[in-house]
Amino acid sequence: MSSPNFSIPTRQSAKGIIVLFGFQLYKLVKQQMAIIFVSLYLFIRKADSEKIVWLGLGLLLLLLLVLIISILKYRNFKFHIINDYFVLQQGVLKKEETAISKSKIQNVYIKQNLLQQIIDVVSLSVESAGDKKTEIEIKALDKPTAQALKTLLISNNTQESNNKESQETLEVLREDKTFYQVSMKRLFLEGISENHLKSLVFIFAFFFGLYGNFKDALGDVKLADLEASYFQYSEKSQMMQFVIFNFAIITVLLLVAFAFSLVKTVLINFDLKVTENNKGLEISKGLLNKVSLGLVTSRIQTITLSTNRFKKALGLYQMFFTQAMVDAKQLKNFSIIGLSKSESKNLIEKFYANILEGITKHKPEVYFKRIKALQVLVLIMGVNGLIVFNSSYLYFLWNIPLIVFAVLVVRQSYKKAYYSIDENYIVIGSGGLIEVNTDMAELHKLQGVQFKQNIFQKYRGIASVKIYTASKALTIPFIKENDAKTIVDFLLFKVESEDRHWM
Amino acid sequence: MFTNNQIALENLPRIENLELLGIASKYKTILVVNRIVGFVGFLIIFLILDTFVVDESFPVTVFWTITVAWCLVFVLSLVFADLSFKSRQYGLRDKDITYSKGVLVHSVTTLPFNRIQHVEISRTFLARKFGLATLHLYSAGQNGSDLSIKGLPFEVAQSLKTFLTNKLNEQS
Repeated sequence: MSSPNFSIPTRQSAKGIIVLFGFQLYKLVKQQMAIIFVSLYLFIRKADSEKIVWLGLGLLLLLLLVLIISILKYRNFKFHIINDYFVLQQGVLKKEETAISKSKIQNVYIKQNLLQQIIDVVSLSVESAGDKKTEIEIKALDKPTAQALKTLLISNNTQESNNKESQETLEVLREDKTFYQVSMKRLFLEGISENHLKSLVFIFAFFFGLYGNFKDALGDVKLADLEASYFQYSEKSQMMQFVIFNFAIITVLLLVAFAFSLVKTVLINFDLKVTENNKGLEISKGLLNKVSLGLVTSRIQTITLSTNRFKKALGLYQMFFTQAMVDAKQLKNFSIIGLSKSESKNLIEKFYANILEGITKHKPEVYFKRIKALQVLVLIMGVNGLIVFNSSYLYFLWNIPLIVFAVLVVRQSYKKAYYSIDENYIVIGSGGLIEVNTDMAELHKLQGVQFKQNIFQKYRGIASVKIYTASKALTIPFIKENDAKTIVDFLLFKVESEDRHWM
Repeated sequence: MFTNNQIALENLPRIENLELLGIASKYKTILVVNRIVGFVGFLIIFLILDTFVVDESFPVTVFWTITVAWCLVFVLSLVFADLSFKSRQYGLRDKDITYSKGVLVHSVTTLPFNRIQHVEISRTFLARKFGLATLHLYSAGQNGSDLSIKGLPFEVAQSLKTFLTNKLNEQS
């Protein structure tokens, strides 16, 4: 292989100009979205041909400006590797030079968005220890170059940088084998069995956010009018019609949510593949936005196995990993979906040997139910509070499904809650009406422990234990005060007596 | 040789037996001063609003209700300041440091020395006047696992910092 020479300052692929142009334009549009829409709207309302010419010219000028900025950015962006340092020079007006020691590099991600896929380049971002977020991204490299650079950058164990050894590491790293690959069928099943209520909440939040943004532009269309017509309808009609009307609304909303979760699941997880190399696993996935992420065994802090009623019936399990020192935005990508039960077990065993053998489930105290009931009660009271201010008391009928929902939620979440602690691992089970989650962590990964109790709990001799790892906190809720104290003592004893490193 | 004996849970060193130390009593003054500043600040803004912004249609009863309610809140917050001061305690063992705080929600957080990343001292203006300091202990954990012990006498904070820094250096 004629490996590219990284020892002299190199620019990214010339196609980078297009990518930079795209990013720059996207940023501009995203930031100024409200302004752009409002001005377009105002413009179109009273447009004549002369104004349209001016608008066209203005837009052209703007695009030209963005293009010039992109070219300058491209010209000024250079990277190279020298003396085990990865050096990056960038900046048009404000010049910047970043140098990262190869030993400090934690992870290298290769990503590809739609634009990058079209012109066949990838982006490579470098994450270093100590930084909370990824600072360094090379936006356009051709695939082989990116692979070669990535291999060079993460082969940091060969600090002696003697050629023979680094050559060896390259060989080892290249022997990746596919560990798991999701089939199209399982991907669809995953999408279909998502928690659509969650999607619904997400869609609502999104639209209310948009509505707030475009309130001025929308002007004439008022949400209040829609609301008024809804109320009018219910007042005039009979009970049966009211029920049917509400039922129809719910059906439409659920259908939208259903389509949304299906499309989202397929887009994000398209062609999900897990390959194994000597450092751990590598997850690659995505249709519009392709990502490739490294999962380093030693840095895994917690593993969450989750499924829900429907998924369980279909034999579908998801695994979610948290890693120390990973950019928050990147963190949510560390998931593998569409696993069968045995595949998920194998994968867990790979990281946490024998974890599933030692589980003895301890239940939280019944107090847990009371707190859950209180939480749901707040929701119900909120809904009723809204109803009180309305003219039609028919809305109180909503309480029937709500109360059924509340009872089920309380019962199911208590049923699914448990914890287990053995010599090496802590396992915490939780869930609601639909979901089931199992959080797992190694005891020596903990950073701190907290014993927590409010005054009501003190009175009843109940407490919670919070266990902090470097990327997620696990909570054992509402157990006997004495048990909580013993757990704290035991965890501290394990961490302090063994002195194993957490990363 | 590798041993892996069963641990008798009742023989574990117990955090409960650790004798926690209170923080400097001067810190109570800081807590009270902070509350007074908040109280008076609100009152001033309220009075200004009442005199210059609100017109005569504003009922006097509402004015007095707000004022009295605010005074009650103030008295209550003073009681809480006292309780909160008493609940702030810390203690060290061979291998970890513990800090407890909170009145309504009481928490006892323990950080093992071998998980502490670095130690810092900070002093606010008031704390400098009283010769106090805050000791921050940073672990690699999520938000919430970092400890901040407020209201330590400056010398104590400094010697704790030196002690902990030495511990950290021993490990690496």
